[in-house]
Amino acid sequence: MASKTILVAQREYLENVRTKTFWLGILAFPAIFAISIGIAWVMEKTKGTRTYAVLDYSETQVAGTVEKAARAGDFAWSIKRALDDAGIDPASRPELHVLDDLELTPEQEAAARAQIPEQRRLALERLLGSTAKKYVNVPLAELGLAGVPREQQERDLGAMVNDGRLFAYFLFDHDPVAKFEGSLVYVSDNRTDNDLPEWYSNATTRVVRKARIAAAHVDPKTAKDIQESAHFKPRKFDPKTGETSDVKKDEVANKWAPVVFVYLLWIAVFTAAQMLLTNTVEEKSNRIIEVLLSSVSPGQLMSGKIWGIGATGLTIVGSWALCGLIGVKIGTRLVPKIADLNLGDIVSDPLYLASFVGYFLTGYLLFAAVLVAIGSVCNSLKEAQNLLQPVFLLLMIPLFAMVPIVQEPNGTMARVFTYIPIYTPFAMMNRASGPPAAWEYAVTTVLILVSVFVAFKAAGKIFRVGVLMTGKPPKLKEILGWLRAK
Amino acid sequence: MIAGGSCASVLLAPPSPDNLPARAATSAAPRSMEQALTLHGVTKRFGTFTAVDSLSLQIPQGCIYGFLGQNGAGKTTTIRMVMSIFHPDAGTISVLGHSDASEIKDRLGYLPEEKGLYKKMKTAEIVAYFGKLKGMDSSTANDKARALLCRYGLGDWLDKKCETMSKGMGQKVQLLGTIIHEPDLVILDEPFSGLDPVNRDMMRDTILDMKKQGRTVIFSTHVMEQAEQSCDYVMMIHRGKLMFAGSLSEIRKGKDFGIQLDYDGDGARLQGLPGVTRINDSGKHAEIFLRPGTDPQQVLRAVLDRVSVRRFDVREPSLHEIFVRTVEEAEGKHSATGGAH
Repeated sequence: MASKTILVAQREYLENVRTKTFWLGILAFPAIFAISIGIAWVMEKTKGTRTYAVLDYSETQVAGTVEKAARAGDFAWSIKRALDDAGIDPASRPELHVLDDLELTPEQEAAARAQIPEQRRLALERLLGSTAKKYVNVPLAELGLAGVPREQQERDLGAMVNDGRLFAYFLFDHDPVAKFEGSLVYVSDNRTDNDLPEWYSNATTRVVRKARIAAAHVDPKTAKDIQESAHFKPRKFDPKTGETSDVKKDEVANKWAPVVFVYLLWIAVFTAAQMLLTNTVEEKSNRIIEVLLSSVSPGQLMSGKIWGIGATGLTIVGSWALCGLIGVKIGTRLVPKIADLNLGDIVSDPLYLASFVGYFLTGYLLFAAVLVAIGSVCNSLKEAQNLLQPVFLLLMIPLFAMVPIVQEPNGTMARVFTYIPIYTPFAMMNRASGPPAAWEYAVTTVLILVSVFVAFKAAGKIFRVGVLMTGKPPKLKEILGWLRAK
Repeated sequence: MIAGGSCASVLLAPPSPDNLPARAATSAAPRSMEQALTLHGVTKRFGTFTAVDSLSLQIPQGCIYGFLGQNGAGKTTTIRMVMSIFHPDAGTISVLGHSDASEIKDRLGYLPEEKGLYKKMKTAEIVAYFGKLKGMDSSTANDKARALLCRYGLGDWLDKKCETMSKGMGQKVQLLGTIIHEPDLVILDEPFSGLDPVNRDMMRDTILDMKKQGRTVIFSTHVMEQAEQSCDYVMMIHRGKLMFAGSLSEIRKGKDFGIQLDYDGDGARLQGLPGVTRINDSGKHAEIFLRPGTDPQQVLRAVLDRVSVRRFDVREPSLHEIFVRTVEEAEGKHSATGGAH
């Protein structure tokens, strides 16, 4: 009996996995993922230089100081990033305190550079070079607008922005140190890219804040202390030692990992269950079902199809996991900071892996039973699509619940989802970072297995009758009648 | 093992009793039984519709048995019940001595009316797959599938996908998938439909050869000539009820003789012949039925005045005529009773 189920499963599996299109389809997902990241990275890297001009009609003539502050800010950011990449805490280097200043002397810059380890200097210079090129101030003299009346300057600059010669221009008016309102104007045709105005505003804020502190005769150190933001250092408690320790980056990544796993689980269950549906409808429409039913029972045929396509789904998931591991290896080489996240450890975490495989199988079996029953009563894919819509809407809900559940893995919402059988696999995977108590694993395992058994029984009854039906799909009342039949 | 895409020349001979799948020693046992199939009071309903109504039938072993009936008469439902694809609501079925065909599925071969193949599977693979589903071990099924395909002239298609074959080739492959495991009872639902004359002959020869091998073959058909040419026994079902069953001579017994006429000319001129009750005119051939006491020679003379006669023969009515009369009689009764089942 079982061997015929295996024969059917084997055929279903081989039919899928030995085609080139199957492997192209599998590789398409990680490839598209990698290409998307690559495109975003390339676009960021190749983003065109934003050219701007500045008109300074302010009483205090702040534009020059703002420009220097903006450049000093870029330098400080680059130095801090280089130190971060080298694993050095900038706070541990007193020489770098000057980086908060609005202007840096060449000596201060050289001293800061000296703090960077030798092997990272080249990368720092590259970073400084690309940062400097990001935003370029075009002097008015170069634009032929030096000494020209203000109205004409504004008109000509507006025209240059309009025809693309300039990305934007800034105007300082009145007295920004006294009051921002009405003193700062930004003119650009681009309404969506706010990087330049934010960068320039940040520098202006620092300059004006320093001027206001000076005007108020407040000691700069006092002012700095007043402006300091509060920041709670995240630490974790170890019940064994009774002490707390720092939370590492990989631990944070580990807590969020279930979101990625649930998403993959969802795609895998969805893909495999849909393959099963398509396969069932196709076999029914090409009339091979009856030939098969002369050799195997409807139960054997249904089980064989479900297991065969389930194995196909596992192959898909396994291939993605392999691509993920390769991606992490490559990514770690390209971006050293990724190594801190220890993604390789997350991907190979036994709890996550076991949960993923276990919940993929149970989740798939549950939805497969539903979809194979739907497929058996439909004569065409179009008919099946109509019946599928409510099922897919139900399947969408775990996606919306992913983030709230991972933030509170043992909260009320997580628990409610855990005990709704169609969501149990997704919710338990989602809660894996918690992780839930052992008794919850035991109870949900029983719950999902019983649900799968009931779903298989019901699907078997529908499949047996539906698969040989032609013509109009049956009404719900008829299907309920089949379910009640012994 | 036959190499992919080629067949040994010895295997290229046309199908004959000698090169059809040989009976396995294990399948010899049921031959000692008298009946291959027995139905007793079998009824199947779908909701309020009765598809098969108290059908009783006995089919001896080693014969060719024809299931006749109009579309929707209940032939396929009967076959599906025999194959345990459907279960009867009432009555009993015994297949090769077993009350449940699912217990002996591996000894049955079934070619449904709606035939299908896995389009992406290779020809040899799919025939072997059907064999494996019937309990054959993998290597035997693979070897036999290739050998059978070669014998039936499909040696060049062994490793080609089913989707590349013509409809006739596809039907051949389906037939081979049905008989690869050497079944004791073969059930073919409308095996001739959609076949060209060459493949129709191939199908007929295969059926006859299976009989010579000692297998029982049941096939359903609309085409009376095929049943007439090949069947030892026939039954007719109409609106789920059995109309008649037996050997062809038994069925014809007591039926009025008719004139079989091959002619050239305008068939309309045959209408109104004296002493004639009914004419089945096919254009070049006509079957003419006479009133009791009418002299066939007189009718012949009248016919000769109207058309050019190529052949004239007085004999029992054809199965076609019996079929049509039975339907008409049944429909008359059906109308008289208000169409109630």
